[in-house]
Amino acid sequence: MTTTLDLIREELTQILTDKGAATGEITADTLLLNGPLDIDSLDLATLVVILEEKTGLSPFADGFVLFHTVGELAALFGDAHD
Amino acid sequence: MRMTDAPRKWVLVSGVSRGLGLALARDLLAQGYGVAGCSTTFSDDLQALKDVHGDWFFWQGVDMADTSAIEAFVLAAVKAFNGHRMWGVVNNAGMSVEGILSTLPVSDIEKVLQVNLTGAICLARSALRQMMKTRKPGRIINISSITGLRGYTGLTAYAASKAGMDGFSRALSREVGRVGITVNSVAPGYMKTQLSEGLDDRQLDQIVRRTPLGRLCELADIVHLVRFLLSEEAGFITGQTLVVDGGLTS
Repeated sequence: MTTTLDLIREELTQILTDKGAATGEITADTLLLNGPLDIDSLDLATLVVILEEKTGLSPFADGFVLFHTVGELAALFGDAHD
Repeated sequence: MRMTDAPRKWVLVSGVSRGLGLALARDLLAQGYGVAGCSTTFSDDLQALKDVHGDWFFWQGVDMADTSAIEAFVLAAVKAFNGHRMWGVVNNAGMSVEGILSTLPVSDIEKVLQVNLTGAICLARSALRQMMKTRKPGRIINISSITGLRGYTGLTAYAASKAGMDGFSRALSREVGRVGITVNSVAPGYMKTQLSEGLDDRQLDQIVRRTPLGRLCELADIVHLVRFLLSEEAGFITGQTLVVDGGLTS
């Protein structure tokens, strides 16, 4: 069982690596935008699309839900998935 | 297609059953792209493309007013072209209703905006969800119209939908430019087919007289520009509305 947090960590690292940005420690409290990670809104949208595909969930289907940290995003997709 | 086939770029094209969409599909296949086309109906011309190009031409019936069908079409095309790179989208599908606005049925207005604008935006959205994952360059081309720039009596809803496409191109170009995806509108002048079906001979003559290059727009004029915009060489052109009208609106 992979936790959603693990999945987000893995995908964020991939996105950062792809764009040649530095990767660091990613915890539930890590801010997604305007924090230590070199990602922008387009990167974040890419992450959400990947999460939607991998979990089969669409937490934003009925409208945007505000989130700031990795943990808040993970909570939107549920705690764990197969 | 066979797994051993050399990788090809492939392009989504909407409204491929006739007119410009058919000409675009035919040309892009001839240029070596795979083409995933959609339209409401299948036609003998499309069957001919299938006969010649086999699996490099994928088709699915889609009503552009049905956003879930658009998403399903893109996912089916991704599956069909598995292992090959989605390179872009040509939003060509469109419809027109004619009439003085005060008597135009609201349902017609809604349908035109739904098909021409919402449908095009949703096709680009579904495609981008796939393209973003690769973080590689790509192309989005929206076929708009000079009526969206200058207007034409009796084509208010149509003109609004096409002007909307141009605005959409400008905004999206800013959003996805960083990953090298370009977004442009191509605005054809009056063509003998499609839109100008609603124009009589007198109106067409008037258009020709007012056109510096002295003729109506031909399908090839648009096909050649789309071919260029899809090329690697056009990678620094984005957020533009390219008018192909023989100088009519100059």
